[in-house]
Amino acid sequence: MLDIQDLRAEIDGKEILRGLSLRVNAGEVHAIMGPNGAGKSTLGYVLGGRPQYQPTGGSVTFGGQDLLELDAHERAAAGLFLGFQYPVEIPGISNVQFLREALNSQRRARGEAPLSGGEFLKLARAQADALGMDQEMLKRPVNVGFSGGEKKRNEMVQMGILGPKLAILDETDSGLDIDALRAVGDGINRIMRAPDKAVILITHYQRLLDYVKPDFVHVLEGGRITRTGGAELAHQLEREGYGVVAA
Amino acid sequence: MAAAQDISLQGEGGTTATFELPSHRHEEWRWADLPALRRAAETPRQVADIDPAALFLDLEGPRLLFVDGRFEPAHSRPGRIVVKPLALETPHPLGQLATGEGWAITLDAEAAVAAIQIVHLGSGGENHLPARIILGEDAVASVVETYAGTGWANRLTQIELARGARLMRSVRLRQNAGFVSIRDEAVIGEAASLVSVFLGAGGMGSRIDGALKVIGKGGFAEMGGALLTSGNQKQEAAVAVRHDAIEGSSRQLWRAVAADRSVASLAARVEVARGAQQTDGEQSLRGLLLERTATVNLKPELEIFADDVKCAHGATVGELDQRALFYLQSRGVPDGRAKALLTRAFVGDAMARIGEEAVRAAFEADADAWLETAL
Repeated sequence: MLDIQDLRAEIDGKEILRGLSLRVNAGEVHAIMGPNGAGKSTLGYVLGGRPQYQPTGGSVTFGGQDLLELDAHERAAAGLFLGFQYPVEIPGISNVQFLREALNSQRRARGEAPLSGGEFLKLARAQADALGMDQEMLKRPVNVGFSGGEKKRNEMVQMGILGPKLAILDETDSGLDIDALRAVGDGINRIMRAPDKAVILITHYQRLLDYVKPDFVHVLEGGRITRTGGAELAHQLEREGYGVVAA
Repeated sequence: MAAAQDISLQGEGGTTATFELPSHRHEEWRWADLPALRRAAETPRQVADIDPAALFLDLEGPRLLFVDGRFEPAHSRPGRIVVKPLALETPHPLGQLATGEGWAITLDAEAAVAAIQIVHLGSGGENHLPARIILGEDAVASVVETYAGTGWANRLTQIELARGARLMRSVRLRQNAGFVSIRDEAVIGEAASLVSVFLGAGGMGSRIDGALKVIGKGGFAEMGGALLTSGNQKQEAAVAVRHDAIEGSSRQLWRAVAADRSVASLAARVEVARGAQQTDGEQSLRGLLLERTATVNLKPELEIFADDVKCAHGATVGELDQRALFYLQSRGVPDGRAKALLTRAFVGDAMARIGEEAVRAAFEADADAWLETAL
């Protein structure tokens, strides 16, 4: 599904990713762990197509397409979802309006008919219910006044509505209490645990991996993947620290 | 005192009128696009290919059509509105030109007229029109005005609200060219309320001028809206609210969006007279630059002579939030549409004050149409 080869990328002329390679097949969950400043979030943004994050070398193929050639919105329509570490507040646009616009933009780009207001609301309500998000929050401006946990639940509601093939979730567990962590973990399993879908969990800690069992755990350090293992590697990292394990 | 500029304009029937335009050296007129006004006045009249009927919203209520400032009974159903010569006095240099026949409505106590629609269609040259709205105690009215076509449309509207009267006024400027100058003068009595919302979403230049006086205890004055400019266009609003009575409140909420090399300017002043205690004034001026070649000028002013007042004010100019833009794009919304959504959200609260849903929807549709073209 996703094939990253020797990817290099920079921000403001500073190289952050230095030859990163990673292959993700359908049906797999990959966790990427690593110390601060290793390039974890940069990887998410480069794959998502954020303008300031410039790829300078290597290749990324997603579903047979050259991902780096696509604009951010085209990547979304192709089935890529980027879950934000810090979801952005957008005053003046309601969650419902935002999500309907997003879903119908994607559907149009794929040559599918847009959903009507009624059809969309039904879908949105079902996803909000499944994530334990108050229906009223669908009417509120996007993320405005939401707590950290509510923002992350909202990311999961968005993921449920948009139904991506590949979700790259950047520190989705940060700022969550235990209940919210469980809700988010359940959401990831429910929405993305399928033979035709895949997940990259970018995380600092082991705790989300208690709910979403990874098939592979990678250590990202200095802009490249330095070690790969199974779920047990995450426990080892938590116990012994990145320095010891990666060395 | 700075020198004024003379301007000779072709009046009706070929007569030439001469009057003084203010100069840029007057502080109140420093951002005014007077050359555009002059050009608009000098454009030859041409047959307008706009169907006047399409400019009215589908609402029950009185309708008046003015073509080049002249009343067109065929497209009108005036109801309680009368068209007659009005002699209004004003110190305003452009307002003074609005003499002769105009429209007026006077409502007795507790009377109500909703959805009065006034359409101003211009075909070129200049036209001037006075208007007067007088509401008796607890009377209620709502007025929607639409400007379309071209030429220079110059208007003076005087408003008097008696105790408890309420007027909601929504004005949309969608002339495709030319210039619209509007002067509003309002006197607001005890517990009376005036809400005026303007949307400048056409290709014309504009000057929206307001002088609102709250003279009764607990009166409410609001004048605000959104100016959307593109190309080389210049639009501006200059509003002064004066509080002469206690416990009054006022709100000036303006949004300016400027694209290309256009200029949008907002000047808003609140004056609180000595003794006008417990005045609550709110002033929010915000500008959004869609390109760095565009200009937004903001001038908030407060002049307070009472000591127990609350006057919140804010003035900011910025660009679209790049993080929000990427957030929308990352969810599949294309660049142009994402910019339009964020821009529309930016002006949204200025139009949220329009009470009638159909009117608000029409204004929002105008803003959307502008965004489609500008982005």
